[in-house]
Amino acid sequence: MKTARASSRCYPRQAASGASRHRTRANNRLAWTGWDLLNGEIVPSLTILLTTKGCFWARRDGCAMCGYIADANPDAQSSDIKKQLFEALALYGKAFKIVKLFTSGSFLDQEEVPVDVRDAILAALADTPRVIVESRPEFVTSEICGDVVRFNRHVEVAIGLETSNDQIRNGHINKGFAFRDFVRASKVAHSHGLTVKAYLLLKPPFLTELEAMEDAIQSTHEAAPHADTISLNLCNVQKGTLVEALWKKKLYRPPWLWTAVEVLKRVKPIATVICDPVGAGTARGPHNCGKCDRQVISEIKEFSLSQDCASFTATCADQLLWKYVLEFEKFSYGAPLVP
Amino acid sequence: MARQFEVTRRDGAARLGTLRWQGQELATPSSFESKEELEFLNALTIHKAELDVAVITNLEEPRTERIDADVVILGGAVRFSDDPRGLTKALIGVRESTNPDSALYVPALATPNNVSLLVYAGVDLVDPIMAEVKAREGYLLFAEGERQFDAISRSHCLCDACSGVNVAELPPEQRVTILSAHNRQALKAELRVTRENIERGTLRDLVEGRCRAAPMLTALLRLLDEEHSYFERRSPIVRTATLLACSQESLNRPEILRFGERVIERLNKRDGILLLLPCSARKPYSRSRSHRTILKRLDNLRQFLHEAIVTSPIGIVPRGLEIMYPASNYDIPVTGKWTCDESEWVIGRLTQYLEANAFDTVVAHVSGPYREVCDEAAAALGVDLIHTVEDENILSSDSLQRLCAVAQELIAEFSPKRRDLRFDYLQDLADYEFGPHASTAIFAESPKVRGLFPTYYASDGRTRIATIAGKYCTLALTIEGARRYLGAIENRYCVRIDDFVPKGTVFAIGVLNADPEIRPFDEVIVLNDHVIAVGRALMSGWEMQASKRGAAVAVRHVEAR
Repeated sequence: MKTARASSRCYPRQAASGASRHRTRANNRLAWTGWDLLNGEIVPSLTILLTTKGCFWARRDGCAMCGYIADANPDAQSSDIKKQLFEALALYGKAFKIVKLFTSGSFLDQEEVPVDVRDAILAALADTPRVIVESRPEFVTSEICGDVVRFNRHVEVAIGLETSNDQIRNGHINKGFAFRDFVRASKVAHSHGLTVKAYLLLKPPFLTELEAMEDAIQSTHEAAPHADTISLNLCNVQKGTLVEALWKKKLYRPPWLWTAVEVLKRVKPIATVICDPVGAGTARGPHNCGKCDRQVISEIKEFSLSQDCASFTATCADQLLWKYVLEFEKFSYGAPLVP
Repeated sequence: MARQFEVTRRDGAARLGTLRWQGQELATPSSFESKEELEFLNALTIHKAELDVAVITNLEEPRTERIDADVVILGGAVRFSDDPRGLTKALIGVRESTNPDSALYVPALATPNNVSLLVYAGVDLVDPIMAEVKAREGYLLFAEGERQFDAISRSHCLCDACSGVNVAELPPEQRVTILSAHNRQALKAELRVTRENIERGTLRDLVEGRCRAAPMLTALLRLLDEEHSYFERRSPIVRTATLLACSQESLNRPEILRFGERVIERLNKRDGILLLLPCSARKPYSRSRSHRTILKRLDNLRQFLHEAIVTSPIGIVPRGLEIMYPASNYDIPVTGKWTCDESEWVIGRLTQYLEANAFDTVVAHVSGPYREVCDEAAAALGVDLIHTVEDENILSSDSLQRLCAVAQELIAEFSPKRRDLRFDYLQDLADYEFGPHASTAIFAESPKVRGLFPTYYASDGRTRIATIAGKYCTLALTIEGARRYLGAIENRYCVRIDDFVPKGTVFAIGVLNADPEIRPFDEVIVLNDHVIAVGRALMSGWEMQASKRGAAVAVRHVEAR
């Protein structure tokens, strides 16, 4: 699988699809290195997956496209989490400018990552110029942010906003929070000197390709004032999710890579937007016709580092089909026109 | 609101209709053309206006009553493009849960190759979206199938779009323009062909041909055939068109299954001597050279025998039903060999026929595959057949001589009753059309039978009771016949109408109640408290009740009750 070997490439969220992530764990690959953007510079990064008892929302209710809960360990102990981090640091060293800690839940949720573990981890990374952790907005409180900066002043909180549209976020994704919750969390984080990254989901279920594209562009416009970086996440089909059930019934198709390119081109002037097409070029991931996928994937990755639209040079005959799909998919009344 | 869609003609589940669409009459089955039309319909799904449009996506949702809209959209139908099971379930499901006078629109699925089959299953409206998608995927679409353009450098098609252009040399945009123009034209042309076939009553033959190009479509047709009652309830009782049984699927045509069922379930039980004869190319059989020769030779002996014809794919045709569709009007490829499916089917029908009746003895004047089939059926039942064919030739003088000798012997042995053979036709047709015991009800005291083959008629001396008439050779009742039938069997094949005197055509809106057994072109009795009438049904009984528009019965005679 691509994700396991491309360790020297830029992968903000490597091995995120259910299948590849599983394999990563089976291979005991819980950390990897890559390149990322930091203040306009391309720097080496280290990504570490921490197995916790899983996202509280996923345990209670869950989002339409997220299957990460399958990788959680209900019996995860405080000591386990710490051990995972220090093993990774011991293996890769501390020379990275960016360290990303992914729990597939909320790092700031004290139920998921106990306070002492959190503080110890943050303290250990106090000298790293950028430490990225993920959290739902409800855990980004003044109290927690205050605690966080006591141990580490370089934390960036990544929040899965998915879309600025409350109807889509809650009706289609079942995310369970409102745009104003994100705005509040962002203000709180910023007031403590933390930076904020917003994840946007390209193509939540029950949207046509065009609606998904327009939603991502609109969301970037609305989220940009509240986020230092925007990460455009191309929806992929993870095991055991609603999206997978729809996909199996041919009622869902992951986004076209062309749609991602179009969104990136259109929002470039207003925000720093990075994109890592996870599982791209497969039926379960974002894809085009199959002939042009590899080139477009590498151009998207290139753009994420360069932020230069000149990265996009690929052309393919399937763009005519993609354009037709954008225009006519709504007339199918509920199913993607092409697989 | 008045209905905006009206079905004007039916051929099984397929319909010709008219939809009032943007100020014009759209003759269905039809395809929307422009993006504006698609937008217009899309807007109607959100804001109700001149057309009532409903979208059904979740077919598993239980429904208590039929959806009543001018246009019903099968949402997301394109998801079934490679799923014949899903598509069968969806099409039957949506059709059964909507009113018959709703037009069914299946979006983004039609191609020139599949559209006839979609229409056969009950679809009224399609669009060119899949034709456009396929153009962009590099496919040229034909009614006979699709071809990836890479495989052929030059389209051999002579349509306006293709002629004179070497598509392979064109840049992608122009290539797509030409492919899509071709594909759209092919879809339009196939819709015309489909409409014409509905008019002629030959859509099934078209569909059996078209589905050859794609395993998915052949699978779809076979799965649709498993929905026998859905199609049987919509299939006309008679057609003028010849039924062509050219494929394995032909054996499962609803008309053929229905004929087999009715021979067993509706006809009077017979006893005495059964003579099995092979079918002939010419129909009705008794007009063929082989049957004329045999029948002439038997001459008066025939009055003591029951004749039945063994044939693929109909099975068993009692002599009296030889003028009834589809026995009167079918054609099969004749090779002198039968496929396993054919043999198995005919053996099954013959076995059932022998079991259902109480013949004292069975004479088989058959050879070749017919003989094998008869032997197998007899063996299955432990019955001894008397074979009369020598040297494999049913017309040789030895064979005919033996047939007559055997017949004479058996008549002497069993002394069956002498019958008027013309009355057989009237009786069998009455039972076949009006159900078990209808002939007893209609012809109670043995009537006078007159007329020349096949237009026999029966009277009680002065008043005519029933006539075999018309281009379909069905048994038509007179008012007297209808009264006799009603006296014995209430409600069956009856259409109860509102309080008016029917003239010419009775419309569905005027029907209060109709026997759900009625099929298009059935002879029916129309009545209310004051009048009794006879006529020909133009739609199925259940449809008369559910529809608000359309002609239900063409009335022939009316009298006060």
